[in-house]
Amino acid sequence: MKIQNALLLSLAVLASSAAAQTTIKINGYGGTDPAVVGDLINKFVKPALAKDKITVVYEPLQGDYNKSLTTLLAAGNAGDVFYLPAETLSGFVATGKVLPLNGVVNTSPYIKSLNTAFTQNGRVYGIAKDFNTLTLVYNKDLFDEAKVAYPDNNDTWTDLQTKLTTLKKNLGNEYYGICLQPNFDRFGAFAYATGWNQFDSKGKTNLADPRFAEAFNFYTGLAKNKVGITPSEVSEGWTGGCLKTGKVAVAIEGGWVVNFLRDNAPNLKFGTALMPKNNKTAKRGNFLYTVGWAINSGTKNKSAATKVLNILTSPAVQQYVLEQGLAIPSRIALGENAYFKKTDAGAVNSRLVFQGASDGNVKAFNFGPQGPDWSKPINDALAAVLSGQKSSADALKKAQQDMNTFQNR
Amino acid sequence: MTVTNPTAKRPKAARSKQSQTTTTAMLFLAPFLITTLIFFFYAFGRAIYYSFTDFNLFNTPKLIGIEPYRDVLADPSFRRALANSLIFAIVTTTLQTIFSLLMAVALNNKIRGIAFFRSAWYMPSITSSVVITLIFLWLFQRRGIANYLITQWQAYQPIVLTLLGVLIVVQIAQVLWERSRKLPAGWLDPALAAVSALIAIIVVLILNTTGLVSVREVAPYDYQYFADKWISIGGVRVLSIPLLVIIIQNTFTTVPTLMLFFLAGLQSIPGSLYEAADIDGATPFQKLMNVTVPMLRPVTFYVVTVGLIGTMQMFDQVAVIGSAAPQDTLITLAFYVYTNTFKNGAAPVNMASAAAIVLALIILSMVFVQRKFFVAPEAN
Repeated sequence: MKIQNALLLSLAVLASSAAAQTTIKINGYGGTDPAVVGDLINKFVKPALAKDKITVVYEPLQGDYNKSLTTLLAAGNAGDVFYLPAETLSGFVATGKVLPLNGVVNTSPYIKSLNTAFTQNGRVYGIAKDFNTLTLVYNKDLFDEAKVAYPDNNDTWTDLQTKLTTLKKNLGNEYYGICLQPNFDRFGAFAYATGWNQFDSKGKTNLADPRFAEAFNFYTGLAKNKVGITPSEVSEGWTGGCLKTGKVAVAIEGGWVVNFLRDNAPNLKFGTALMPKNNKTAKRGNFLYTVGWAINSGTKNKSAATKVLNILTSPAVQQYVLEQGLAIPSRIALGENAYFKKTDAGAVNSRLVFQGASDGNVKAFNFGPQGPDWSKPINDALAAVLSGQKSSADALKKAQQDMNTFQNR
Repeated sequence: MTVTNPTAKRPKAARSKQSQTTTTAMLFLAPFLITTLIFFFYAFGRAIYYSFTDFNLFNTPKLIGIEPYRDVLADPSFRRALANSLIFAIVTTTLQTIFSLLMAVALNNKIRGIAFFRSAWYMPSITSSVVITLIFLWLFQRRGIANYLITQWQAYQPIVLTLLGVLIVVQIAQVLWERSRKLPAGWLDPALAAVSALIAIIVVLILNTTGLVSVREVAPYDYQYFADKWISIGGVRVLSIPLLVIIIQNTFTTVPTLMLFFLAGLQSIPGSLYEAADIDGATPFQKLMNVTVPMLRPVTFYVVTVGLIGTMQMFDQVAVIGSAAPQDTLITLAFYVYTNTFKNGAAPVNMASAAAIVLALIILSMVFVQRKFFVAPEAN
């Protein structure tokens, strides 16, 4: 009898201590993220939540993050807080498992275009953790060698084209002006510069829009006389790889290229310029590649999860992330940060990536409700014209037909 | 002292032994039966149920009748997947059946080192299909081995063609000369061919040093195998080039396994049949067509059935190639089911289930038709 009582007592003690201790699980990317987030949790989250008895654990999802998160959400095993990539926002919002943050978190300190990236039907579903935009990253030596001025922040499309053509002419057959990914994820920025919209009011995409054609013709026109080439032509998989070879002068990439070049081409002297402006609109176009923090609508600890989210997006954490050179933070106030005033190539790139988020026509990198297949007709058209298989007009006509079929599904 | 009744005890003991045997058998079978029940019957039942609902992984399924089937049939991607799967299954099964039969016939001979050839030709079958797909992806890249070899062939064409030309001319001249001397000489006489080859090599060397025949400067051959390219008949896209690459790869990897079945079948054909054919003066081709092929019909049925089921369910190669090729060129029914189940967020699982059921029905009917019309009486 005594033993039974003792057992019951110890069970009760265990239960009460478990009730007092709340555990918040965070799901995010694998790779280097566990180290970074683990560091943030130890340095900032744990000290702040020590008195609230909240424990925080990070559970990275290896492999395809979106698919793994979908499975976990469907099974009811996802974290209380998780990464929400802006490009898959629609799919996840449709699950009803993402908590709208209106009235839960104050979104005003964050860059407006970033908040828009996580907004659907007037509801905000995520707070941008960090972000990236596109810039022109160039090989200084090749421009010096060709005696052509570097791309600068005031260049128009025509200026860039002239610089690249001259460079190619002066350097000869072995060298190329620019690496062009046959993909919407780079080309789209040019389309936005003309004022083209991805979807009209009925949710349809118009590729026959003259503004789209203007951007398409400019982008594919850069490939004339091999001034522009696709990465596969120099046996590379992406345009950062093109830069690494030292044979291509310009690549359109974001801040992620900096560490890649440091590791793979340490002797390459590179500079960064903002995306060129469209001649007619005098505006640049850009993409926001961003991942946000979101809260699981099924969480049993909503207030604890909100506390964790607020700490992870606090000024102190963002300052730390920026200073470590990990990513570009999403708070407007950090635009005045001392780090951005540095003149080394990496800091200049970071400053321009930050500036890119609020300069010109900036849209979140997103494929709409039907997912990544949306970009397929555009990618096919770009590939067909860049490889010389089709004329621009034919390719655009076919792309529009395919787009109609796709959107009528 | 207790009295025992042996006559009453025996049947009881036998019965308990019987039930003990059944229990033991069931216990041994249990792991297999349970997994089959859960992962096949239960899953299949769920798939049928979902195919009539509006299930999207996150909602509570609600019955909506045959609408998912209608959606699936109206989906151009499904139609492409169906066409791709059927073409793939028919072409691959035909190729692999023919090649495995020929290979088995070749390996059934009693020649020196046959054990080596049998194991060497079996190698592709034991290698992981993912690894083989990666190798093929590498072979058929824009700057891959396939294009490299074609470039080399184009560059060395003058030398190779001159060599062949000279060889043929010299061989003909030699044979004619021998015959003019009333000596028996066949067109492919090996001794004369060796002399012809030697002369041809010397001639080409001389021509090459004098600069008359040399390696051509050619631009690298630049064919994109994993692009949106199609073989069309009457304007209808029949077979895509990326799928053709997978057909080649699949044939390469499955031929060895199927060859084993044929080899086993070949060894059970009585030698007397071939002896009789020899007496009748049959050529090797006639023996193949009139003795080997008919005698192997039960094996052929098995090989074709296994081939059709395997090819209709082809998935791994497409999944590994993934976005390296445009989706339409490679999408198969199994891959369609997969992409519609594992999306980012809510997914049309009802459509995926409907497609899976359609796939199962097609395979079932294929096997049924084949069993009904093509199988030999001796197989039944």
